Amino acid sequence: MRKCSLFIFLVYAIGFGQNKQVLYDFAGLPQTLLLNPGAEVENKFHIGLPIFTQISVQGGFTGFSTYDIFADNGIDINDKIKAAVNKYGTAEFVAFNQQLEVLSGGFRLPNNDYLSFGFYEEVDFLAKIPRDMVDLYYEGNTDINRRYSIKKLAARAEMVGVLHVGLSKKINEKWNLGVRAKIYSGVFNINSKSNSGSFYTEEGTHNIYRQHLDNVNFLMQTSGIFFHDGEEIDASYVKSKLLFGGNLGFGVDVGFTHHYSKQWTITGSILDLGFINNSKNVESFIAKGDYKVEGVQLSFDPDNPENYWGDLKDDFDNSTVLDTLYKSYISFRPVKLNGSASYSFGRKYDDCRFLIDRGLYVNKMGFQLFSTVGAVHSYVAGTLFYERWINKYFQAKLTYTADPYSFSNVGLGLSTHIGIVNLFFTADNLLSLNNIYSAKSASFQIGLNFIFKDKN
Amino acid sequence: MKIQKITAAALVILFFQGCTKDVDFNQLDDANIHTTFISTLIYLNLTAPDFLNDLNQEISATSDFIDPPITDETKPYLEKVEFTVITKNSFNRNFKLSITFYNAFGSPIYVLQPIINVPENSSELITMIEIPKADIHFIYNTRYFGFTVLLSPSTDGSVILISDTSKFDLKSSAKLFFNYRKI
Repeated sequence: MRKCSLFIFLVYAIGFGQNKQVLYDFAGLPQTLLLNPGAEVENKFHIGLPIFTQISVQGGFTGFSTYDIFADNGIDINDKIKAAVNKYGTAEFVAFNQQLEVLSGGFRLPNNDYLSFGFYEEVDFLAKIPRDMVDLYYEGNTDINRRYSIKKLAARAEMVGVLHVGLSKKINEKWNLGVRAKIYSGVFNINSKSNSGSFYTEEGTHNIYRQHLDNVNFLMQTSGIFFHDGEEIDASYVKSKLLFGGNLGFGVDVGFTHHYSKQWTITGSILDLGFINNSKNVESFIAKGDYKVEGVQLSFDPDNPENYWGDLKDDFDNSTVLDTLYKSYISFRPVKLNGSASYSFGRKYDDCRFLIDRGLYVNKMGFQLFSTVGAVHSYVAGTLFYERWINKYFQAKLTYTADPYSFSNVGLGLSTHIGIVNLFFTADNLLSLNNIYSAKSASFQIGLNFIFKDKN
Repeated sequence: MKIQKITAAALVILFFQGCTKDVDFNQLDDANIHTTFISTLIYLNLTAPDFLNDLNQEISATSDFIDPPITDETKPYLEKVEFTVITKNSFNRNFKLSITFYNAFGSPIYVLQPIINVPENSSELITMIEIPKADIHFIYNTRYFGFTVLLSPSTDGSVILISDTSKFDLKSSAKLFFNYRKI
């Protein structure tokens, strides 16, 4: 039961897929370069504490929260399940994303460009579950003529190791551009998208009902899931696959920072324009075709006994294709888009009202947009933010985000620079802290860097 | 300083307030999902020759069998099966249809009750048959199903002739009632 509870907590309560709205463009952290390779950093060089450079966990479910089902409020759990099913949308999705930045570093080149590099491990899972599937499981198929469609059924899951190197280049006082190249090494991949077809029951001609599989087209591609040559999955297997022994791929990130005016700044980035060639331990499953059946007509002919079930199966096999493929395939990484417009204000003065730093504004506020575009699922999230230097050691960022999970996602980021040590922590869905089980999503990132700045 | 104090106070409120309201994961033990699936079954369209032997003499019974594969996967969840049988008979004779479950050794282990009575010259009749929870296990011990149509003797001594154009039609479906406990 405890394991079950932990699993449910992880699935429902931790995190959300890939929008790092608090971390984006925050406090000049080296990690912002992973979200926008064109971000401006003022470091001479930096290095992250190995393994602890950044840990990021995100996930969520748009359908309902843990509290909706397991609240200890005297209501029968079956009534709560029924209520959750009743308010289930046309399709809801469950997402989980975890990143562990194993290695991170960067340094300023003689021409003033900033070169950053590193290696991180990422697990990404997203499944889109149509209401038709939930209703079929929960109620059955007694609704005559209703079509239970798999059109919105889609899923992707993968574990990859990513080696990356990027360059942030200051073009002039207004523009800063950046690009990052990535080599992916996939441990496993599951992909199912563009499915179609439906199952339905209608009144029959010869029998009471006629049942249909209508224009079914289902494909699930996998790599690194099924093994035939006795390979064992253990820590060394995962490590070897993460470190370029897996299915290899390539991708790029591009980004920019544009100072529209002294106080207005616009940023943007496109991440993971890339693919992985899945060629190892590939096994894909295909099901397609049409089939209708009214039942079995018994002939009562003892001289010619019939193999009714065998004939039915042959008829089904002739009308449909159920096959397993072992052909390599290309999987595309979900592309992430980030953008922001911000306004900086509030100069920093000392106690005698002398301007301390001509370039430094204490406050920044603005708007961010995040979108992920993928064959399995796409969505958009919008964020309002306010960022402030609290004192010369601390920076904080407060965010309000509207996304497919909720319209009340408040996040907070804190970053401290003491000497060369930089520690940061970001989290969202803080309004759900008084009852974490009611959150449909949450996320956090934590990390430690050593940042060396130019003495000038 | 004021900003710092406000920030500190906000952080204290955020991080030191209670993190959860009461939840009880043991409720999962009480969860049940009752799901009902409909399946089409057999149908018959019998005419006079089906009740005559090679010498065109009337026979009193005729049988047929079907052996669908039955797995144990649904056994823990299947609670009841309800059959709907619709019959129509234009023969001037009564029929009885019995459905018997046979095990792998060919022995009858269960007979669906009630046996379906089809009166002579009857229009559409609906008969409901239920396999109760206590008898569900017979399904999973069944290797094949036997269907026997019994022809009752006529009251006037007449017999079915090859030229008889009467028909005996039967349609059927099943409702399978599942209870998914401990999801």
